Amino acid sequence: MTPIVPIAVTGMGAISAIGNNVTENFRSLVDSKHGIAPIRQLDTWHRERLLAGEIHMDNAELYDRLQLSREAAYTRSTLLALMATKEAIETAAFKPGDGYRTGLISATTVGGMDATERYYDDYLVSEKNRSFIQTHPCGYAAEQMGKYFGVSDFITTISTACSSAANAIMLGARMIRAGQLDRVLVGGTDCLSRFTINGFNSLMIYTDGHCKPFDENRNGLNLGEAAAYLVLEAPEVARKRMKSPIAYLTGYGNANDAFHQTASSDNGEGAYLAMRRALEVSGLNPRDIDYVNAHGTATPNNDLAEGNALLRIYGSASAIPPFSSTKAFTGHTLAAAGAIEAVFSILALQHQVVFPNLNFSQPIASLGIVPQTALTEQRIDHVLSNSFGFGGNCSTLLFSKDHD
Amino acid sequence: MSELTQELKAKIITQLNLEDLTVDDLDDHTPLFGDGLGLDSIDALELIVMLDKSYGIKLSDPKEGRKVFETVQTMADFIEANRK
Amino acid sequence: MTKPIYIHGSGCVSVQPTFEAGYFFDHVTSYTQNPVPALDPDYKAFIPALQLRRMNKSMRMAIFASRMAMQQAGITTVDAIITGSGLGCLRDSERFVEALRTDEGSLLNPTPFIQSTHNMAAAALALSLGCKGYNMTYVNNANSFESALLDAMIYLTEHPAATILLGGVDELGERTTQFWDLANYLKRDDATIPTPLIEQATPGEIATEGATFFVASQEPGDHTFGKIRAVETRLEVDAPEIFISGFLQRNGIEAETLDAVVLGYNGDSRYDEIYRTLGSSLFANLPQIAFKHVVGEYDTVVAAALFLALGIFQHQHVPQRLLLNHSGIPPILRRILIYTQRRGQNHSVILVEK
Repeated sequence: MTPIVPIAVTGMGAISAIGNNVTENFRSLVDSKHGIAPIRQLDTWHRERLLAGEIHMDNAELYDRLQLSREAAYTRSTLLALMATKEAIETAAFKPGDGYRTGLISATTVGGMDATERYYDDYLVSEKNRSFIQTHPCGYAAEQMGKYFGVSDFITTISTACSSAANAIMLGARMIRAGQLDRVLVGGTDCLSRFTINGFNSLMIYTDGHCKPFDENRNGLNLGEAAAYLVLEAPEVARKRMKSPIAYLTGYGNANDAFHQTASSDNGEGAYLAMRRALEVSGLNPRDIDYVNAHGTATPNNDLAEGNALLRIYGSASAIPPFSSTKAFTGHTLAAAGAIEAVFSILALQHQVVFPNLNFSQPIASLGIVPQTALTEQRIDHVLSNSFGFGGNCSTLLFSKDHD
Repeated sequence: MSELTQELKAKIITQLNLEDLTVDDLDDHTPLFGDGLGLDSIDALELIVMLDKSYGIKLSDPKEGRKVFETVQTMADFIEANRK
Repeated sequence: MTKPIYIHGSGCVSVQPTFEAGYFFDHVTSYTQNPVPALDPDYKAFIPALQLRRMNKSMRMAIFASRMAMQQAGITTVDAIITGSGLGCLRDSERFVEALRTDEGSLLNPTPFIQSTHNMAAAALALSLGCKGYNMTYVNNANSFESALLDAMIYLTEHPAATILLGGVDELGERTTQFWDLANYLKRDDATIPTPLIEQATPGEIATEGATFFVASQEPGDHTFGKIRAVETRLEVDAPEIFISGFLQRNGIEAETLDAVVLGYNGDSRYDEIYRTLGSSLFANLPQIAFKHVVGEYDTVVAAALFLALGIFQHQHVPQRLLLNHSGIPPILRRILIYTQRRGQNHSVILVEK
């Protein structure tokens, strides 16, 4: 397969438990300052019991920062998405309506569920909050975002569990390649919710303490909330605008594990295929990858499957490039994960650093693979970023350095 | 003992939505997972919830469930030994 | 740009017996309720009991419709699965919310949580077919299926040798339907299928559910039912006529060369005006066909319109109950435009040819 023409990344925005913008996120990664703490804000039985990556801004503050009328119904996932998209548009330095066909491809799993679960009985007895009824569907946030920013040429939303944002990024690139769009905002958002916290807890994969990605004694994930968006552009559009790309998206792949509704096959077939496909699309070899930002949720199942997939790609533990999961910093941000970690992958390229995999002490016995545990400066030209979700949905993105 | 196994079978069928099975179809000693009935890890979690809600027994480690849920008989034995 | 894609098989589960062999809207089942659940085909024909037990209605309908399509196309495997669903697996979402609202803090049943994931129908398809290829789910309100269709067209341009499943599925909830009623989406006392249109229309929709799936590829085959030339969506338009004219122009087509149009009238007097205007201007001289008055309204119902269009090509006949006007039907029906919107938003146009 001929490698694709690299797609330019011209801007990015992020908000997570470790920072309200990209720079703050970067500082936290560099300083090993994670954002996992006992749940404080969300009104749940698990408050102060389970640890999560919460963003310490309540909805009222988000409304104010975005200058939104309190009369309008915006759910938390949408508010976070607006924050991150605002930053992405600013850093890409473009104005929607500038004559280039600009789309928006978002991703979410929670959608408006944070409002639905709160007002589930209230809607029936009081008119007060009924303006939130329309916010429930996953597709609603992108529609509000499109209106807020004046982006209207194409809008859609993907929801494929934890690989959602990676898939949104992939579709964006494919639409540019297919000549459908010149530029596209791509990414994902998910806020914390009782639904997801209780959901992962019911599967007995929510850890009591801090998650330990790739550790022999890992026993589950921490959830987190986040939103992150990239601006992708056709390289000639970036050139015409004289906007230097901050990185390139050179590869992407999606595959289905087709093994079980939630569990991954032990040998990580879906993960393996996704990584292989991303490499094929880029025309690169596995050994060209300098850093793998792993999915690494710290569930017994994912890390084993992903670890095995890495071993299958690379042949041996020693051949695997430096890799780490950043989920011990942010928590597992579900539909936003693919996007926030795309941002981290691009930061790795920009600053030539590998971020540490926190809370690691013992390698998984059957794998013998060891993640990077300290911040490491090294030459990085190509980064692989993995996101694997329920329903066997596995996606990998490949970002490459801008050498101009 | 057989009253408990009968009760258990009925609960298993309801909890796991095994629409086509009757209590008589389920043998006390048929392996529930793997090659017998073919249940999976999600069913195991559902059975843990059932143990808790119906018999007040809490299994905090899903791996412990493997042994307990081998057959209807092993489940009944475990419940007899541990129920509150 | 994307190339046309060819449809080799289709299957539809709806409130009409669309899954029955030979059915083509010659008779229409009547209802006087709102919402209306889809008719259940014999799922066991395609799904073993051990799998069926853990499938919600979305998953069942999707698998049944897909298998029908694959059977028609004479295939047993596909290379990719691309789906759309406006609300995903709604009933399980409700179940889990209800459980956590009463029992948070004690052990909750995990099954409704797992099944509520929006891509579970696509996942169930992948699992049942052992398909490790590209698998995608779009949740884009009333343009969910259209997004899946666009992706399918791009995918097949990228992978010209592939054969894929493309579909849309939505299921009814229970509490959610009550919310819709409170939000004034729904018809109340006067809810009927077939739904009165145009002069007899009243405010509100009839909420239904269903799944429609297609087998598609880049190559025409022995059993091709039609091809999809293009699809476009737009959240909001100032003038639908300009939106549609622009679409036709971009595809090098004059409105006069269309043989028929399928319009998304759903009997909601507040929003059907758009179709009346188009019906007396751009489409004045064309046979105008409706479908939502017999299959109801849900986010991905436009897939049923595509099913209908392909059926029209196959039978070379427009079912009487679906024809709105008396414009002369051309001797050969070869080119159909589908235009829909929902509650004044999520406009879409699809161009289908024999």
